[in-house]
Amino acid sequence: METKKINGERSYFDPLVLARLSNLYLRARWVVEGIMSGIHRSRSKGFSVEFEEHREYSPGDEIRRIDWKALGKFDRYFIKEYEDETNLRAYLMLDTSASMNYASDGITKFDYGCILTASLAYLILKQQDAAGLVTFSNRIESFIPPKARRGYLMEILHALEERKPSGETSVGKILLEVAGKMKRRGLVILVSDLLDEPEEILKGLRLFRFKGNDVIVFHLLDGAELDLPFDGNILFEDMEEANLKVTADPQAIRKIYRKVVQEYIEHLRKECRENSIDYQLLSTSAPLDHALVSYLSWRG
Amino acid sequence: MSFFFLHPVYLYGLITASIPLLIHLLNRRRLKRMRFPAVRFVLLSQRRISRTYRLRHWLLLALRTSAVFLLVLLLANPIFQTGVGLFAGGGPLSLVIVMDNSLSMKWSREGEGFKQAKEAARLLISSLKDGDRVAVVPTNTSERGQIRLKGEREILFRELDTIQIAAGSADFSSTLGKVYELLKEPAAQKDIWLITDTALTDWDRFSMSALGQHDPLIPLKIIKITGQEGSLNATIKEIKMRGQGVGVGPPIQLEAWVVNFGNKEIKELLVQLNIDGQNREQKLISLPSKGESAVSFLFPLSQSGDHHGYVMLKKDGLAGNPTSYFTLQAQDKLKVLVVDGDPQTSLVQSETFFLTRALNPAGERDSSLFLPTVIIPESLSSVSLDSYQALILCNVAAIPDVFLPKLRDYVRKGGGLLLFLGDRIQIEDYNAKLFQSAPALLPAHIREKRMLSEAAAEKIEATDTTHPALQLFADEILKDSLKSSRIQGYFRTDSSAGSTLLSLANGDPVLLERKIGSGRVLLFTATADRDWTDLPLKTAYLPLIQSLASYLAGSRRGTMDPGITVGSAKPFSFPPSYVGKSLKVIKPNGKEREITFVPDGEKATASFQENDLAGIYRLSLPTGETQGATQMYPVNSPFLESRLETIGERELQAKLVPIRAEIVPLDSLEKGGTRTDLSLPLLLLLIATLASEGWLAQRF
Repeated sequence: METKKINGERSYFDPLVLARLSNLYLRARWVVEGIMSGIHRSRSKGFSVEFEEHREYSPGDEIRRIDWKALGKFDRYFIKEYEDETNLRAYLMLDTSASMNYASDGITKFDYGCILTASLAYLILKQQDAAGLVTFSNRIESFIPPKARRGYLMEILHALEERKPSGETSVGKILLEVAGKMKRRGLVILVSDLLDEPEEILKGLRLFRFKGNDVIVFHLLDGAELDLPFDGNILFEDMEEANLKVTADPQAIRKIYRKVVQEYIEHLRKECRENSIDYQLLSTSAPLDHALVSYLSWRG
Repeated sequence: MSFFFLHPVYLYGLITASIPLLIHLLNRRRLKRMRFPAVRFVLLSQRRISRTYRLRHWLLLALRTSAVFLLVLLLANPIFQTGVGLFAGGGPLSLVIVMDNSLSMKWSREGEGFKQAKEAARLLISSLKDGDRVAVVPTNTSERGQIRLKGEREILFRELDTIQIAAGSADFSSTLGKVYELLKEPAAQKDIWLITDTALTDWDRFSMSALGQHDPLIPLKIIKITGQEGSLNATIKEIKMRGQGVGVGPPIQLEAWVVNFGNKEIKELLVQLNIDGQNREQKLISLPSKGESAVSFLFPLSQSGDHHGYVMLKKDGLAGNPTSYFTLQAQDKLKVLVVDGDPQTSLVQSETFFLTRALNPAGERDSSLFLPTVIIPESLSSVSLDSYQALILCNVAAIPDVFLPKLRDYVRKGGGLLLFLGDRIQIEDYNAKLFQSAPALLPAHIREKRMLSEAAAEKIEATDTTHPALQLFADEILKDSLKSSRIQGYFRTDSSAGSTLLSLANGDPVLLERKIGSGRVLLFTATADRDWTDLPLKTAYLPLIQSLASYLAGSRRGTMDPGITVGSAKPFSFPPSYVGKSLKVIKPNGKEREITFVPDGEKATASFQENDLAGIYRLSLPTGETQGATQMYPVNSPFLESRLETIGERELQAKLVPIRAEIVPLDSLEKGGTRTDLSLPLLLLLIATLASEGWLAQRF
């Protein structure tokens, strides 16, 4: 599979990546979940008719959508637009804590996460599903509720571009908070390095599942976080907690470190599996398209 | 048991043992800082392996440091020694054996110490192997031959046999200085063995600053040969003479100060005086511990000229130099010319009656130091003063003009003049000739006569007992006697040009002195007889007159010479005509040495250095103006050399810092010991250390 080198510039719509993803994504969503309209009918039957706004009539609009009452009031034709006309409400949750700003080689976890989130939003919205965005550190930085509106992608992308990674992580707490805000069940896609208390994270994920949501976790780690490929004595200073620092000889502890990280990953993977949560470990050293393709393949 | 290095210079390399530690510290300083998101995993990993990792880390550091350390030790070639372990292993040895042959060695180990010291030196020499070189250096030697390192044992044994106990102290600073000079040549091993009784007196004088250049890396082993505790230890500290000079006839009083260095009282110690080879007197004394006592001897000399003698202590088991030598130069009787200015037909009424009786109380030629000759003033013009050691004018009315130049010349050449005043004195004549015209002889200007009633007579109040002529009056009895005398008539004086020796209660001087070159003039402002004072009837009169006469005789008096200390130089000074001439010195052992006079300003001087034996040194003077010159001089051992107290081991080692001094008891030398070269075990240890380091480094 061809690798696309991604630099600091945010090339969310790299055609090569998107060309691959669109087909694979549609297939994955329609075959496995069977909840998206377009390929299969929704299991929830019928449209949602939740009124959202009026807009002026323009030629080509369906006559049945004209609000006759509004005509009587304003003597002008208005078309009633409804908020939800889809069966999928996807919440894209991107971790924007300071730890996401780490890059051992070129691309930061945050940049990688942004591209991934944008790509997913694009795909979801292209399928006329509703996509929302939650960015968070130890608090919710921005919350864009899921909508399937045309042009909504730009809002999401704009929100992503505005965000700079900072602050401490508190994934578990945020998950609980977002779960509380969700009124309807949907799909929760979490993109985070998950550098938090694992039990807190799992508690939040379980709550999503308990409320009938589907959950996909993209565990994003830098290659250096997985391998600790450094030499010489190093004073490691945590990117989030100023007081957390430790001097170590990476060469001496590398073996144990890898084991510790793998234990952590395996623990998350196992817990996710037991709770029917899709868990995918992504390394920033792996190509983005490769990561998505491998995920969707696995999903399928 | 000891541990030392054959090549200690390599030990400086131990500094390199700190290199691994320095690298470790440097690495810690060079710590890279890194902001990292997964510090919690690093911390967890660190905690998991921390204990094992740290242990390995420090072990590795210890192994690396040890490896360098062992390598340096290996190069320095360590030797382990049990006992004194005599010179096994290692390369060729340069050894210097220093023999303390100072006088104190004579009494160490009850007289056996020096013999045992020689045996120890012999043992050291015997233990040498082929290629080793040795020098035996005595602390006291007068030999002029240069000492050098040599390998022939037989020659070394012969040299050792010739070393005898000297009469002086050991100069360790100078001796060790020579030793380090000898060891300057490169050698695989260098050693100094010093065999000494560690006498406090000798080591007190030692100082590293006096030693000068030295090599602190050469090990110094001190074999301590000490005496037995509690032995009797006394010596003669000094011999002093009492009284006024040494002359033929009157008894001479000598005082020998005997000192007990020991902690025990010494009873029945015989102190013997020997003059010219004959025992003249002996006394038994008791000496308290750490105390001293004066033993007084009174003896006459029947002949003028040089005499020699000694005072000797005798007691079984007594340690310490028992003998102190001295010489006496006895003068013939002091001839005193007395001029009676008021002669009377009745001898008792004569002005000089009491004076001449005081100078020669018995009226016999042999019993007094003084031989007074009385003349009348009219004889002054014809008298020759050269044969008189002192001149006394008693109530002489005026100084004859023809006599005045003779008088001035006499005083200028060192003669002594004593003037008694009286009713016949013409003050103007005295003042004009003896005070106002140069050179002035009178110590003060004579003023008016003062006559008092018997009731108002003045007392002598102040006495300068520090003056050599009046030292006798420090004695309370004599002082009281002097003060009890009354003076009814005297001349007042002013414009004093001299010093006051006696004065009245009212402050007026009675006895004044003026020095003119080596000559002395004394002025007594009252009479010599009873006319104006009752002093002639007092006990103090005789010693006062004799003391003044003796003082006036000055250098012409006989003397006692307590001598110089062994090792000191004896200087000689003669007229300049002796420049280039030789003086023969015959040492107490009969050996003769010659020294030559050299010019020194207006004199010819010579110095004899080889005073290395205690005893009487005789001189064979060149012919010429040597009449009256001393023909012998005594040389004595320093009395502190008899003190057998020793210096503490720690104090001794502290004095020798930075030299590494090890004190070795004589017994351990006799028992011998072994030396083990630790190079092989160290090499094996180094290999094991390096192997362990390699294995452990792999494990990281």
